[in-house]
Amino acid sequence: MLVSVLRTGLTLALLAFSFAALGHDVGSHKPAINTPKDSRLEFAFPLPVPGSYELPPIMNAAGGVVLDEEGAKHELADLLRDRIIVLAFIYTRCGDVCPMASLQLSALQDLATETPEVAHGVRLLSMSFDPDYDTPVVIKEHARIWRSQKKGAPEWRFLTAPDRVALAPLLVAYNQSIGPKSDKGSSTSEFYHIFRAFLIDRKGKVRNIYSLDFLDPKLVVTDIKTLLLEEKGAGR
Amino acid sequence: MSIRSYPDHSELRGWHSKLGLRSALSGFALAMFLTNATPTLSDETCQSPYMPKITGEEEFVYVWTLGVEGLGDGSDKLVTIDVRKDSATFGKVIDADSVGGRGEAHHGGFTDDRRHFWAAGLDDSKIYIFDVATNPANPRLIKTISNFVEETGGAAGPHGAYALPGRMLISTLSNKSRDGRAALVEYSNDGKYVATHWMPTDKENGGAKIEKIADGYGYDARVLPRKNVMLTSSFTGLDNYMRPLGDLIKDANAMKKFGQTMVLWDFHARKPKQVFHVPGTPLEVRWAWGPYNNYAFTSTALTSKLWLVYEDKDGQWKAKEVADIGDPSKTPLPVDLSLSADDKTLFVDTFMDGMARVFDVSDPHKPKQIYEKKIGSQVNMVSQSWDGKRLYYTSSLLANWDKGGKDNEQFLKAYTWDGQELKPRFEIDFTAEKLGRPHLMSFGSASLYTN
Repeated sequence: MLVSVLRTGLTLALLAFSFAALGHDVGSHKPAINTPKDSRLEFAFPLPVPGSYELPPIMNAAGGVVLDEEGAKHELADLLRDRIIVLAFIYTRCGDVCPMASLQLSALQDLATETPEVAHGVRLLSMSFDPDYDTPVVIKEHARIWRSQKKGAPEWRFLTAPDRVALAPLLVAYNQSIGPKSDKGSSTSEFYHIFRAFLIDRKGKVRNIYSLDFLDPKLVVTDIKTLLLEEKGAGR
Repeated sequence: MSIRSYPDHSELRGWHSKLGLRSALSGFALAMFLTNATPTLSDETCQSPYMPKITGEEEFVYVWTLGVEGLGDGSDKLVTIDVRKDSATFGKVIDADSVGGRGEAHHGGFTDDRRHFWAAGLDDSKIYIFDVATNPANPRLIKTISNFVEETGGAAGPHGAYALPGRMLISTLSNKSRDGRAALVEYSNDGKYVATHWMPTDKENGGAKIEKIADGYGYDARVLPRKNVMLTSSFTGLDNYMRPLGDLIKDANAMKKFGQTMVLWDFHARKPKQVFHVPGTPLEVRWAWGPYNNYAFTSTALTSKLWLVYEDKDGQWKAKEVADIGDPSKTPLPVDLSLSADDKTLFVDTFMDGMARVFDVSDPHKPKQIYEKKIGSQVNMVSQSWDGKRLYYTSSLLANWDKGGKDNEQFLKAYTWDGQELKPRFEIDFTAEKLGRPHLMSFGSASLYTN
């Protein structure tokens, strides 16, 4: 319960922070918004039937040396084996998109419990690109906030890099452009980055890349089911 | 300078209700985030919503320029113009990167991280990838895709280059048989081929509901993420667009081979859902930005009409003609559109009369022209800054369709827009500068990579 409350509180605090930041950019440029007159304030679209579409391989999922929450070294490629992977690059001091993404992943983790085949077939990985701050101790605490306590939830591991040298090739391989925000003065606690999450099949092929708008738990589960159905068929 | 990358996550689904108070509150927060963020999704000249955008003043204008035989080096080139207002070289060409050949430079676009600009050749089917991040004032060609036709299974005439997360979506105009069957092709950001999706035809409709005909032609492709829809338009094939316009219009049979459809796709599944009948060759597609504005504009080149594709109150997507552009009987040939960030103002260019027209589209079902200005003897592309205060126009349509003689003006002209009038800022004569025929314009800024 304590963790749940903390998760809620942190989410809202971070989101409130991000709204404030957004307000700066929205400025006085008001759109000609047509507010709907009915109550259909939904943005949902019909989900495709799992297996009714293809997810062509986009690229190979790269490996590299990473640290887990206990500080143990792993080869990332080993963590990509045996499961379908959802890999997200984040950093814990992020004030806007990362907590939004973690919220979506936490919902995905909860949602997966409804389908044991999905829960058993997928592993979530959140990889920090801020190893200077995101030590194993920090990501362990971060994981405690976000990770689901639901019975049957899929594994969600939080990772960091031993140092920036080890991180660099991973960032290149996954096209993650990271840099300190220049408008923050000498403080480099915030990074310029574009959030991306990767759906990786058991053969180590990236099969989808999600911006935050498509990191919708139901949509990702649909994609995971599509890969599971593909595995049952002829496969790739 | 204010530049951000906005997620346009939009699909608040029923799962929130299953996740208890925490998620319900978070769902509310997401909705608020959406409502606040969506206006800023609008990008300069309506770029892909997946990329960071320049919400302050642009610093550079990149112009993908067709080479002209005997003019300068004769090659297609990416021209960089300095538009930093305090710069000593403001309004001047500060860089030109030739690609070493002439392949009908036309359209292009940035990757989702806006670090690379993909520039496509309609004739030679090559794609040139420029690094615009290392030094935005001096783009550098880093890779050329030369086997596009082979690796895509026969698609040809790469046109738009539209950023998707980690990928590029290339809409083509043609195929190896040089007719109008077109495709949508996906590449990874590092230039590796991913997939080809052919446009639907009557025989291979992909399960789409067809209003009258599925002609298979292609042109533009743009996504409205929160509705999971993509809209494509239709032009003509290589044999037609590489033919001199004067000859082409005398060939009645060839003139039948132009697009008359728009296709609404299930974007996530990449499957066509509906094929609208939009006669007269619909070209550029511009989605509105408001979070409840589920509509897009296009213009039909041959019939000079403004069309609206919209989600009706019954949840169905429909297409209808909403306005004339100039006098359609004179075939002014509308070629490019730019919708303002607030969805209220639509800039429309017509090539034949060289006119810029401005429509009030506050009511998208009833556009009203509020202004017009002659830009030159011919005009093609228009690019609008995010704040709507600066407009840039270029002159060239296609190498063999541009006007001849003294009417063959080749320029970039920059204006300010105060809501009532276009006022000149500067202009560059691309012939005098020995550059070529300027076509697509895209904006750059060093702050994109640090902010």
